[in-house]
Amino acid sequence: MEPLRVDSLCLQLPDGTTLCDGLSFVIEPGEVLVLMGPSGSGKSTILGWLTGTLDARIRASGEVWLGKIRLTNLPVEQRRLGLMLQQDYLFPHMTVGQNLKFGLRGGSKSDRHKLVEKSLANAGLSGMVNRDPSTLSGGQRARVSLLRSLLSQPNALLLDEPFSRLDVTLREQIREFTWKAAAELPTLLVTHDIADVPQHANKLDLTTGNYASNASHGTIIRSTIINKTES
Amino acid sequence: MIRFTGVLLALLFCLPIAVGLFGTIIPATGLAPELAPGNGFSELFADPRFWPSIYLSLKTGIIATVLALLLTLLSLVCAHGTRLWHWLNGVLPPLLAVPHAAIAVGLLFLISPSGWLVRLTSPAVSGWTRPPDLWVIPDSGGWSLIIGLVIKETPFLLLAAAAQLPAVNVDAALRIGRTLGYAPARCWSRLILPLLYPRIRLTLLIILAFNLSVVDVAILLGPGNPPTFSVFLLSLVSDPDSRATASAGALVLAAGVAIVFCFVFVLEKIINHIASNRRESGQRGRALPYLRKSAQGVVALLLTVSIASVALLFIWSFTQRWRFPHTLPTNWTLNNWTARSGEFLSPMITTLLLAITTVLLAVSAAIAWLECERRGSVPQLDWLWYVPLLVPQVTLLFGWQAAALLTGTDGLWLTVAWSHWIYSLPYVVLILAVAWRELDPNWNNAAAVLGAGYWRILFKVRLPILVKPLCQAAAVALAVSVSQYLPTLLLGAGRHQTLAIDLVTSFGGVDRRVIAALAALQSLLPLIAFIAALVIPRIYTHRRVPV
Repeated sequence: MEPLRVDSLCLQLPDGTTLCDGLSFVIEPGEVLVLMGPSGSGKSTILGWLTGTLDARIRASGEVWLGKIRLTNLPVEQRRLGLMLQQDYLFPHMTVGQNLKFGLRGGSKSDRHKLVEKSLANAGLSGMVNRDPSTLSGGQRARVSLLRSLLSQPNALLLDEPFSRLDVTLREQIREFTWKAAAELPTLLVTHDIADVPQHANKLDLTTGNYASNASHGTIIRSTIINKTES
Repeated sequence: MIRFTGVLLALLFCLPIAVGLFGTIIPATGLAPELAPGNGFSELFADPRFWPSIYLSLKTGIIATVLALLLTLLSLVCAHGTRLWHWLNGVLPPLLAVPHAAIAVGLLFLISPSGWLVRLTSPAVSGWTRPPDLWVIPDSGGWSLIIGLVIKETPFLLLAAAAQLPAVNVDAALRIGRTLGYAPARCWSRLILPLLYPRIRLTLLIILAFNLSVVDVAILLGPGNPPTFSVFLLSLVSDPDSRATASAGALVLAAGVAIVFCFVFVLEKIINHIASNRRESGQRGRALPYLRKSAQGVVALLLTVSIASVALLFIWSFTQRWRFPHTLPTNWTLNNWTARSGEFLSPMITTLLLAITTVLLAVSAAIAWLECERRGSVPQLDWLWYVPLLVPQVTLLFGWQAAALLTGTDGLWLTVAWSHWIYSLPYVVLILAVAWRELDPNWNNAAAVLGAGYWRILFKVRLPILVKPLCQAAAVALAVSVSQYLPTLLLGAGRHQTLAIDLVTSFGGVDRRVIAALAALQSLLPLIAFIAALVIPRIYTHRRVPV
C-alpha cells in the first residue's frame, strides 16, 4: 500500500468564500486522518475534490498523489479510492450478494461467489447473500456498504460521516468493524462527532487549522485553514 | 357529497371509454346491421390494402419508438451533467408544446427536395441549381413519418425521464459507481437505467400506442398508397357501407397494439435477465470520451432539426418570394397573415374556445378528483387516467361516433369539447397529482386552527401554493386540445373547423406559405400558454415580496 498525499489544496466557493488555502497532508497506510469541523467548513468538499466529483462551479487547485501515481487529473473511476457516505447507497435492484459482486474486480464466477460468501461470513452476515438490501437493518446495511467498497480493492478509503445515520447503539460496533477492515489502508475520515474518531487517529480541525497527531511516526501536515470565525 | 363527486367524475371518465369500446365492437361483429351493414372482419381481411398498411404501421410505429427510446437513453448517458443537458432542459418544454401536425409541416419544409437543408448546401456543396428529384417527401417507405414521430416524441420521453432522475438518485449512483471503478456509461447501464426504466415504461407505452395509431402526422408525412393502417381506417369510416369494416379494423389495431405491448414485456424480461448476469461480472468498461462527444452531437442535431422545423414555419409564413436555391426568402411580406386573417379568425376562435373550455373542465375535474382522493373518499387510480392514452384513438372514436350518431349528439360543440376533455384530463391529473400529494398537510392544519373553513383553505391556501403546477397543467391541457385532430373531425361532423382540422385538410391543396401561417398560428397558441405558465407564477409570487 502507498501513502495518500495532498499538496497545496485551495478551494473557493462560487460566492468567493475560501474553504482552504494551501492545505497539505500525507496519510500513511494504516493511518487515519480525521477532518473535523462544523457543517459548511468544507469537509465534504475536500472529499469531493479527492474523489474527482467536485461541483464544477467550485474553484480548486492542488495535487493529490497515491504513492508515485498522480491522481489529480484522473477520472473518478481510475482513482481507486473507496468511498463510504452517510447513506449506504446499496443498489435497490440488486441483492446483497449482487451489490458485493458489483464491487469485485475480476475472478471466475465461482471464485467471486466464494469471496462474497466469505466476506459476508467475516462481517457476521452469513446467509444473507440473496437478501434484498431493504430487509437489512441499518447496521447490516452499513457493513455491506463498507464491504462493497473494500472488495473493489481501493488504494485508500474515504469516509464521509459514515456513522451519523446509525442508531447510537450500533455505532460503536460499526466503528470497530470499519477500523478493523481498513487497517492497512490510508484512511480519511470526515466527521463532526468526536466519538467517531479512533484513538490512533490524527486530527485536523478545519475551522482553526489546529492539528493533533497521535501517530508514532511523523505525518507531515502543513496547512493554512481560513479561520471562519475570525473572517 | 364528496364521495358522490368522486364517483361521478370517475363515471364521466370511464363510461365514455366503455361506450367507445362497445360502440366499436358492436358494429364490427355485425350486431348493429342498421348502423353498419356487412361482416366487418371478412371484408377487412379481403381488402388488398389491409396487410400492406398493417406492415407500414408496425414498421413506422415500432422503429420510431425504438429510435425515440435510444435517443433518450443516449441523451441521458452522454449529456447528463453537461451544458448540453441544461440547454436541453430549457428547449424541450416549448418544443413539446408545438402540435404534432405543425412540426410535421415544418419538417417537410426542412427535408423535402426543395427544403432548407438542400437550399443551405446548394449550389456550393451539392451543385444543384434546381430541387433534386432523388427523393420525395412523403416517401413510400414511411421514413419521413418515422423522423417526424421521433423528433416529436423524443422530447416527451426525455422530459418524462428527466423528471424521474431525482427519484432514482442519479448523482449518488454515478458517484458510488465511479468510485467503485465503473465508467460513466456502465454506471448508467447497470445502476441507473434498471431503476429508471420502470418509471418511464408507461410513458414509453403511450408513445408506442400513439406511434402505431397516429392519424394527422401520418396524413402529412406518411405514404398514400398504402397509407398507415389508421389512415386506411379513417378512409373507410366516412363511408356508411364500410363502417363495419372500419370498426373491425379499429379492433384489430387495438389488438395489434396490445400484442406489441406483450412483446415489449417479454423483451424486458429477456433484457433484464441478461443485464442481471452482466451486473455481477465486475467488468468496469472504459470511458469513451470520443463516443460521448459523438453522441452529444447526435442529440444536438436532433434538437437542431426540431428547432429548425418550427423556425421554418414562421419564416415561410412571412415569405413573399423564396426562389431555389436561396437560403432565405428574397422578399418578405405580412400578406400571408393579413390577407387571410378572415379565414384564420374563425378556426382560431373555435380552437381557442374549445381549448379554454377544455382547460377549465380538465383543471376543475382534476382538482375535484385530487381533493376527493386527499380526503380519502376515492382511491388513487393513476392507471385509470392512462387508459385513453393507451387505447388507439380510432378504436375509441369510431365507437363514440357511432354512439353520437345513434343519440343525435354528433356535431354538438359540447360533444367535441367533452372528447378534448377526455384526452387532456390524464395529463392534467398526472401533473397535478405529484404536487397535490406532496403538499404538506400542515398548511391545511395551520389555516384551520386560524378558523378557515374548507373552501377558504382550498382557495386561499392550497391553490395559491400550487399555482405553478396549476399553470403548467393548464398549459398542457390547452396544448392537447389545440392539437386534437381526430376527435374534432369525427365528433364535430364538419361543423367545427379548428386550426388542426384546417391544417390537415388544406395541406397539399393550398400555397405552402398559407399552410406555414396556419401551422405557425397553431403552434403559437400553446407556446403562449407555456410562456404564460412560466410568467404567471413568477408575477404571482413576486408581488408578495416587498420591494
